[in-house]
Amino acid sequence: MPMPLIWLLKAALIYGGLLLTAAIMTLAERKVSAWIQFRHGPNRVGPFGLLQPVADGVKLFFKEEVVPAGANRWMFRIAPALAAIPAMLTVAVIPFGGQIAEVEGRPVYLSVADLDIGVLYVLALAGLGVYGVILGGWSSNSKYSLLGGLRASAQMVSYELSLILAVLAVVAVSGSLDLRAIVAGQAHLASWNVWSQPVAFVLFVICGFAETNRHPFDFAECEPELVGGFHTEYSSMRFALYFLGEYCAMTVMACLTTTLFLGGPSVPFWAGAPWWIGSFAFLLKMSCFLFLFLWVRWTLPRFRFDQLMNLGWKVFLPVALANILVTGLVISLGGGA
Amino acid sequence: MVVVERKELSLAEKLYLPEVLRGLSLTLRRIFEPRVTRQYPEEPLPKDEVTRGQPRLVVNPDATVRCVSCGLCEAACPAYAITIDGHETERFIEREPERFEIDMLRCILCGFCEEACPKEAIFMSDELELADFTRQAHVYDLERLKRPVAALQKRIDYVHGINERWRTSSST
Repeated sequence: MPMPLIWLLKAALIYGGLLLTAAIMTLAERKVSAWIQFRHGPNRVGPFGLLQPVADGVKLFFKEEVVPAGANRWMFRIAPALAAIPAMLTVAVIPFGGQIAEVEGRPVYLSVADLDIGVLYVLALAGLGVYGVILGGWSSNSKYSLLGGLRASAQMVSYELSLILAVLAVVAVSGSLDLRAIVAGQAHLASWNVWSQPVAFVLFVICGFAETNRHPFDFAECEPELVGGFHTEYSSMRFALYFLGEYCAMTVMACLTTTLFLGGPSVPFWAGAPWWIGSFAFLLKMSCFLFLFLWVRWTLPRFRFDQLMNLGWKVFLPVALANILVTGLVISLGGGA
Repeated sequence: MVVVERKELSLAEKLYLPEVLRGLSLTLRRIFEPRVTRQYPEEPLPKDEVTRGQPRLVVNPDATVRCVSCGLCEAACPAYAITIDGHETERFIEREPERFEIDMLRCILCGFCEEACPKEAIFMSDELELADFTRQAHVYDLERLKRPVAALQKRIDYVHGINERWRTSSST
């Protein structure tokens, strides 16, 4: 099989998987919320309601698309794509599994792209995600949308800092910006970064919630105060695109947590596991994190905005900096990573 | 004046994370508790003889209708939902309905027909579901109204009990 064909196949597989996960997440969100509230959740469309995302998608396609008067039409139309595309692009560098084959003397890994600077790429794209939200909020010509967009951007920018610092500690421990190298350094259960970097792990997970605008940090939407936040004025598939972007961002964040802290596709107590078992382990770890996203959403109340900013700048940033300092000291005094 | 004392938070509460974990464990336990939602069409509503559903006509074990088409229920009906045409018969009761229609869209399930009936021929059943595609389909004819005695027995006994209580209670 020629190399370009393999690239295409891998891209189709991973992007199909990502969109499928996002679709399943919309159902899972409703199911988990229902279970926590003693309800059944959607169970009418298909077995266990599994076809609900399809029904939702069809419904949204048939909805009228409204562009509010006074809105900046082009920005209004582009913004949902700007929110969704960075989230989807990020998944390209996630190593879902080890070497799956060898073609023309070159190893084929289960990831779309094999970048030396994978971490940098992910963080750069994560930073772009905020544009979709702020532009969508601004171009809607609605005060609710604008406030939602402003809050979201303020929040994403401030939490991104702590997020990057948490990742930096992991990079320092692993000594590489290559996600595959970071995974390779965590081959055994004892060498998972979550044990050597517990503070960074907690910081990363919490900042991940803030970065993806999930509860308890979902100020971008904040229904009681801002109607729907930045997507108040959106309807039809553009609205769905925002949601797709949000769920893709969640999935990517879960993948990143797995890769950076939980050894990616490494299987505990089984070093020589075949690649497909490794990939299965990866998906399992990722699913646990996705469940955590839902679980937290239906447990915690929302912060107040000033509390959120206090937490971000006065707690997380110092803790992240201290974590970097301690990590650096330990590495330099202990003679390298 | 009411002074609200601000509660001094412990370190664990200020850290927030332990409390978050406590909340998470609470919601996780809820997931495994039984659901309270009734899955309606599969799990029907609880009904008993007090349920006043749609009126139905009693059919005797020998397949004859008790109704003698006297027209009292038609007269008692406040919604004008009942239409009866009768004819004479050789049987002992002398008359029987030829056409007996209840427009279920008009019926308000008040039970006056049941009270009015001198022959214990019409009773409020426990059937409540009413959905169809045309208005005409909601006009129930004689065949659709017929129910065997056994199906209505609980309601019949209940009405007997009510009547008995009225009869034996002292009049003032």
